[in-house]
Amino acid sequence: MSQPTVSVRTYAFTLMGLLGLTLLTSLAGLQDLGRWNVPIALVIALAKASLIAAFFMHAFYDSKLVRVVLAGGVIWFLILITLTLVDYITRGWLPFPGK
Amino acid sequence: MADPSVLALREQFHDPEQQRETSTVGMWVFLVTEVMLFGGLFTAFFVYRLSHPVAFDRGSADMEFVIGAVNTAVLIFSSFAMAMAVHSAEVGKRGRLAVFLLLTMLVGFVFLGLKFWEYYLHYLHHEFPAISFHNTRPDAAYVQMFFVFYFLMTGLHAFHMIIGEGVLGATLLRTLLGSFSESYHTPVELAGLYWHFVDTVWVFLFAIFYIPGAHLR
Repeated sequence: MSQPTVSVRTYAFTLMGLLGLTLLTSLAGLQDLGRWNVPIALVIALAKASLIAAFFMHAFYDSKLVRVVLAGGVIWFLILITLTLVDYITRGWLPFPGK
Repeated sequence: MADPSVLALREQFHDPEQQRETSTVGMWVFLVTEVMLFGGLFTAFFVYRLSHPVAFDRGSADMEFVIGAVNTAVLIFSSFAMAMAVHSAEVGKRGRLAVFLLLTMLVGFVFLGLKFWEYYLHYLHHEFPAISFHNTRPDAAYVQMFFVFYFLMTGLHAFHMIIGEGVLGATLLRTLLGSFSESYHTPVELAGLYWHFVDTVWVFLFAIFYIPGAHLR
């Protein structure tokens, strides 16, 4: 019998972690945290996505090539969203007349 | 049906490990293109959200929060079942592999059922853009925009789920026909990668659509 990449134990812990974080994000969402509601939800979502990618998708155990492809996707997406939002967020900062 | 030992090493590859890694990298590259597809929509969503935060929070407050939270847990469990299917394939237990694939599919259908029920509730509550939308707020147009994003993005996600169900069905069929073994089960792993990716997308959809207005309900 060949050795599986990830043990059942690790999968079970990942499942518990994901369900726990889902409960946490739901409870946090029901509180009025002002401007922090969305950032907290996104940070928890990022933690959940990392757990799924690392253990369920074996990214933690895969070759460097796979990890480079994954990192490339994430970095490219960050370029897309940060450059776009930096534009929209800063548009009202300087009081140009007639704008 | 194709003999797994033949499928395990096709002539263009040096060894089975190289063949497996080639397939895995190919699948990840495809998933990166999917990140870009959803990424564009997430970016557009945030552009609108930053411009109309109050209307978007109002729209989010009209989400079926409980169904959304339960559905998140349902999809996570489905991903776990898929992970167990891959594990079963790796240790060469075909019966268990078939059971876990079936379980993954069934839980996936539960998710889709809840999702479509939720759509129906939005339709009843006049929160369905263009078809049935009624809102008297002064910023109703942007509340409607929130729902446009909601239906577009969760709809695209549900479409991915339906494709995934098809992929899992085909994988289950090949399992029952004996195409997979301990030495060759790459298609199970690739179907798993796709399924987990779709799960990951939902995690973010839940965070941006359901959470921001949950405390205003």
